[in-house]
Amino acid sequence: MKNLPIPERDDGEKWEVQLRKGCLELAVLAALWDGPRYGLEILARLESGSDLVVSEGTVYPLLSRLKGLGLVRSEWVESESGHPRKYYELTAAGRQRATEMQATWSRFAGSMSKLLAPLHKEKAKA
Amino acid sequence: MSKASTGGGQEKVEAYLGELRRRLRGLEEAQVGEVLEEIRGHIAEKTAAGASIEAVMAALGNPEALAREYLTDALLARAEISRSPWRVLDGLFRWASLSMAGFLVLVVSLLGYFAGAVLVLLGVLKLFHPQTAGVWTWMDAAGTREISLRMGFYGPPAGARELLGWWVVPLGLVVGCGLLVLTTRFALWCARQYRGRRGSQ
Repeated sequence: MKNLPIPERDDGEKWEVQLRKGCLELAVLAALWDGPRYGLEILARLESGSDLVVSEGTVYPLLSRLKGLGLVRSEWVESESGHPRKYYELTAAGRQRATEMQATWSRFAGSMSKLLAPLHKEKAKA
Repeated sequence: MSKASTGGGQEKVEAYLGELRRRLRGLEEAQVGEVLEEIRGHIAEKTAAGASIEAVMAALGNPEALAREYLTDALLARAEISRSPWRVLDGLFRWASLSMAGFLVLVVSLLGYFAGAVLVLLGVLKLFHPQTAGVWTWMDAAGTREISLRMGFYGPPAGARELLGWWVVPLGLVVGCGLLVLTTRFALWCARQYRGRRGSQ
């Protein structure tokens, strides 16, 4: 019999990181759905009621990438804080991308909940 | 520009931004300016709201890691618009200026593109130099077998034998183009892996 590979201790953690990263793009697009927001507002939205953001530093490069892909556009606006703020806004392509991603997400989440139903029952019994 | 509450804090912010600027070299100057302005605003507003400068910087990650994310993102974004080797190489040169990993990927990619280009060229030149272009083999003075790709501008050495004949045309084109495509995929795959690893830290 072959020896089974010993699973890495932080496998669960890695999986969580991957999952989070995969969702971040959709979450950022969703945070811009109602209208333009600047970096800190987007972060505040992501951080309230979710643990999607591990490092705040990942959101700014992501915004710059989304801009490069034409999914968002940006505009500098003077503010009373003394620093201009860079506001991001969804483009038509960004709106479409968010809608597509949302549809995929819903389908995926639906089938996952069905698959996970037995685990819930087990929990209720315990 | 508002000053941070403590003088030492402001120095730390400037050191952070200075390091970020250095690490971002390779991006267009206008883009570097925008990144710095945005991060500066982020730090200023967070500290103004009562967070400590250390905590704000820790949440942002170190300047090197932040810069790397911008640069690999720039490479991937370019490649998503066009997969031409020029764009990929341009991105790789920027990445290579930042990290050892980027440098290694650049070296391997240069080799891949070079070999691919040589094979395609060989396939094409065979049509123009049917007598002299191709893969030639011969025994040198010391008695060892030499194999050489000849573009056909000079005649092959005396006593040399051609190996592939006309096959060099389709083979050169197919294998050469294949190498070019594979190299692009390899470079993008590396950039993605790298970005993925970075995001998990």
